[in-house]
Amino acid sequence: MTDVPAAYLGQVAGYLERRRWFAGKGRDFEVTHIHAMPWLGSTDGLDGWPRVRIEIVTVAFADGSEDTYQLPVGYLREADPTLEHALVGTLQHSEFGDVVCYDAVFLRDATARLFEGFIDGRRGSEIEFHVVDPEHLPDSAPVGAAMSAEQSNTSIVYGEDSILKLFRRVGAGNNPDIEIHAALTRAGSVNVAPLLGWISGRWWTPQGEPRSGDLAMLQVFLRTATDGWELALTSVRDLLVEADLYPEDVGGDLAGESERLGDAVAVVHRELAAAFATTSADGYGARLADEMQRRLDDAAAAVPELPEFRDALHARFERLRSLTEPVALQRVHGDLHLGQTMRTVKGWKVIDFEGEPGRAVAERAGLSSPLRDVAGMLRSFDYAAGATLQGFGSNPQLAYRAQEWSTRNRSAFLSGYAMVDGAEVDADSDLLAAFEADKAVYEAVYETRNRPGWLDIPMQGIARMAAEE
Amino acid sequence: MSSDPLWFKRAVFYEVLVRSFKDSNGDGVGDFTGLREKLDYVEWLGVDCLWLPPFFSSPLRDGGYDVSDHTNVLPEVGTVDDFKALVDAAHSRGIRVIVDFVMNHTSDQHAWFQSSRSDPDGPYGDFYVWSDTDDLYTDARVIFVDTEPSNWTWDAVRQQYYWHRFYSHQPDLNYDNPAVHEAMLDGLRFWLDMGIDGFRLDAVPYLYERPGTNGENLPETHEFLRMVRRTVDAEYPDRVLLAEANQWPADVVDYFGSFENGGDECHMCFHFPVMPRLFMAVRRESRYPISEVLEETPAIPERCQWGVFLRNHDELTLEMVTDEDRDYMWSEYAKDPRMKANIGIRRRLAPLLDNDVNTMELFTALLLALPGSPVLYYGDEIGMGDNIWLGDRDGVRTPMQWTPDRNAGFSTATPGRLSLPAIMDPVFGFQSVNVEAQVENTSSLLHWTRRMIHARKRHPAFGLGSFTDLGGSNPSVFSFSREFDDDTVLCVNNLSRFPQPVELDLRRWEGCEPVEMLGHVRFPQIGELPYLLTLSGHGFYWFLITSAVRGGPV
Repeated sequence: MTDVPAAYLGQVAGYLERRRWFAGKGRDFEVTHIHAMPWLGSTDGLDGWPRVRIEIVTVAFADGSEDTYQLPVGYLREADPTLEHALVGTLQHSEFGDVVCYDAVFLRDATARLFEGFIDGRRGSEIEFHVVDPEHLPDSAPVGAAMSAEQSNTSIVYGEDSILKLFRRVGAGNNPDIEIHAALTRAGSVNVAPLLGWISGRWWTPQGEPRSGDLAMLQVFLRTATDGWELALTSVRDLLVEADLYPEDVGGDLAGESERLGDAVAVVHRELAAAFATTSADGYGARLADEMQRRLDDAAAAVPELPEFRDALHARFERLRSLTEPVALQRVHGDLHLGQTMRTVKGWKVIDFEGEPGRAVAERAGLSSPLRDVAGMLRSFDYAAGATLQGFGSNPQLAYRAQEWSTRNRSAFLSGYAMVDGAEVDADSDLLAAFEADKAVYEAVYETRNRPGWLDIPMQGIARMAAEE
Repeated sequence: MSSDPLWFKRAVFYEVLVRSFKDSNGDGVGDFTGLREKLDYVEWLGVDCLWLPPFFSSPLRDGGYDVSDHTNVLPEVGTVDDFKALVDAAHSRGIRVIVDFVMNHTSDQHAWFQSSRSDPDGPYGDFYVWSDTDDLYTDARVIFVDTEPSNWTWDAVRQQYYWHRFYSHQPDLNYDNPAVHEAMLDGLRFWLDMGIDGFRLDAVPYLYERPGTNGENLPETHEFLRMVRRTVDAEYPDRVLLAEANQWPADVVDYFGSFENGGDECHMCFHFPVMPRLFMAVRRESRYPISEVLEETPAIPERCQWGVFLRNHDELTLEMVTDEDRDYMWSEYAKDPRMKANIGIRRRLAPLLDNDVNTMELFTALLLALPGSPVLYYGDEIGMGDNIWLGDRDGVRTPMQWTPDRNAGFSTATPGRLSLPAIMDPVFGFQSVNVEAQVENTSSLLHWTRRMIHARKRHPAFGLGSFTDLGGSNPSVFSFSREFDDDTVLCVNNLSRFPQPVELDLRRWEGCEPVEMLGHVRFPQIGELPYLLTLSGHGFYWFLITSAVRGGPV
């Protein structure tokens, strides 16, 4: 249903451009279509303000490609000057007359409307609220507060206990984050934040084709948590201000935590293997080698510092071809790093099972060796050391200490991982080495494009790996 | 004292070794009369209850925990009448008194043991645990591993082995003998009749032994404690039983007894693991060592309370940390092997923290704000040091430092006559660290500690309130709230030596205003967004959360 004037589309385009989660920044685009979902909550009488609904926004780019975004909108009858940052636009609505439109996640009363459907168990033809266990929901809808750290999604914290993650870019199909959390919650995992429910929707494209997909997920809020990246930076910083001590002698030593984190990741892998299909693949090594070598060649064209190490890394990937044993494949996290881990008072939790954001949804649900995740974590320790070192200026002594920190915590993580029954990890494995190099190549491309100042971090890692060949 | 059955939940406790506090008669040993003379100081500091470790008759081979007569006192600390006068004087100031009572064992010099070994068929023949062999109860661990090869020792007189969980000169009483129960109750009544306010019951987990068990926390032990509690409640209201059970909180919680009636064993238990975790958290600059152990601490019955402490007359107890943690604590605080004793470390708070005032204040602030009733150790309020060259645990039991004068003002005796020498090193010696100097100086640690104690006493939330860990964006900052009725206190602690920012989710108090408690400084109103605070290295805040009504010029 579309009941908004064309001028509104242009206002929405302007709003998208200002948001961090909009991936089309800098490209020529226009908003071509808005599909408005039914109103959320009661709209009877004047008490119905703000009117709240989810609008599905189709964006068309100059090259003909399209993207779909979700924009929950709260309609007010008068402008609220305190919400300037959330203003989408103004319009004359066919039913309500003049209204001012805000991004609903920043509108307190509107946030409650987004939650109400879980309590009512609302199941409409266009929007459906799924509840995992009604026992864990409050009796009435709380108001929420949008978290300030907005990435590709927007999260709203409700009260002390739950958090709604709103997917901004919505594709057709199921979101792997929901799928995995649902399975691990059912399995009673203590290493994830339990899933409380999710919202799915059905809409039509401008061409009139039906689409459906997940819109948001409601989880237990890890109230006492700090992410692993912060812990790691604290630890490295504590070491670097001493400079003449070994990592194990410094108070901020993280090795104990890293080991427990390895244990948690291995348990999650075991739970994923139990909850989803697994397979044992022949020829996996050769396929990976093809893929990684192709990515390396592409990267070498984009990163001028890379060709120097190309042969060595090629050789590293080439060894995958001699993997003769079948490799056990399963669902994995797909984009694991320290920022995807949370230390709570009840131990480590792993979050954000969306898979690698750059890949298509179908590909993200594919099976992989869990060593892909392990390699991601190993690289992340290197990153924590490198990122902290940047703040200290160039100093060979500190660089050496930072490297010692990385080595110590990487090996603590691996030993924690290996302590879990059935979790096999060999620090010298060709597969792990290849995943790590592949990840570093990806990082080099990313840093060249986005943060040239940080390129040194993956390049140091690549140089070290090349030297080992 | 006015009747108040829950007084212990709000009280600040102060542990005083009578022998080391004040010597009134110049014989080199502190005594009851000396302590009585110093009650003005104790009252000024804000102490609600004195805890006096053992002063019963004893050969003093284990700091008085080897009792040879449960109804008499060591002659050098005074007489039973002197003690009665002390209790009366304390009560007249509103200060309560609890004393140590050793349940598990006696000295081998006790008349009961002497009779038991020489007359197996006599009235005391069955007062101790005797056996022809030493292979019973082998699952019970040896506690003093440095000195004791076994829990059994051969007695040449009776020609049998006797059981002892601690030193071999401390035979365990036989709680399977009802006569032992009666004898112990009579011992308790003797002191309760004198008006004391309760007991710290020493080493309670070990009263019984049974084959195939580790001899700790047995059901029979709990049954006996319930009987003691019933007796005390019936005959002496408003008294408190404080258990020393050096176990994980999940096991200790059983010593409070049943939840249904608010607890029917001990009113209080010490919370042991929180203390080494505080040290580790500051060292790691991470809140998780503390947060985690508090999260693992079970709820306790309504009319019960934890006792929390930083240091006491025993060593820094490390039995409650994991092996990994223990190795870490050892290597950190015990660089000198002489500082190790058993599985612990003998240091006072100030030397443990390298005499860093900011850190000492942070630790004390945590002690006074965490759930439970704080137990201060005499001398820590002025930052006293220790003497690692003294044997056993005497290094932390040296005379209280009152003045820069002879013997630290503790005694007029010839210095060589003191039971333990006063600290004289350049950093912690009584010429630089003493009560007189710190009373004169209002920016001293002593005045600071006093202000904090009094701030705590103004807010029932500290003693009676719930505890909520607030998490936060910065792993080095430990933040929590305490709430009781409309009294809400917010405590934010920087465990790092560097300045730290923290963003706290305080939405539950949206619209309220935090008021810093010591200076009554109003902080910005709490909104929907994360609340930003910055703290200096090892800095902390205590805030009162008030509904925001801002006064101002009209």
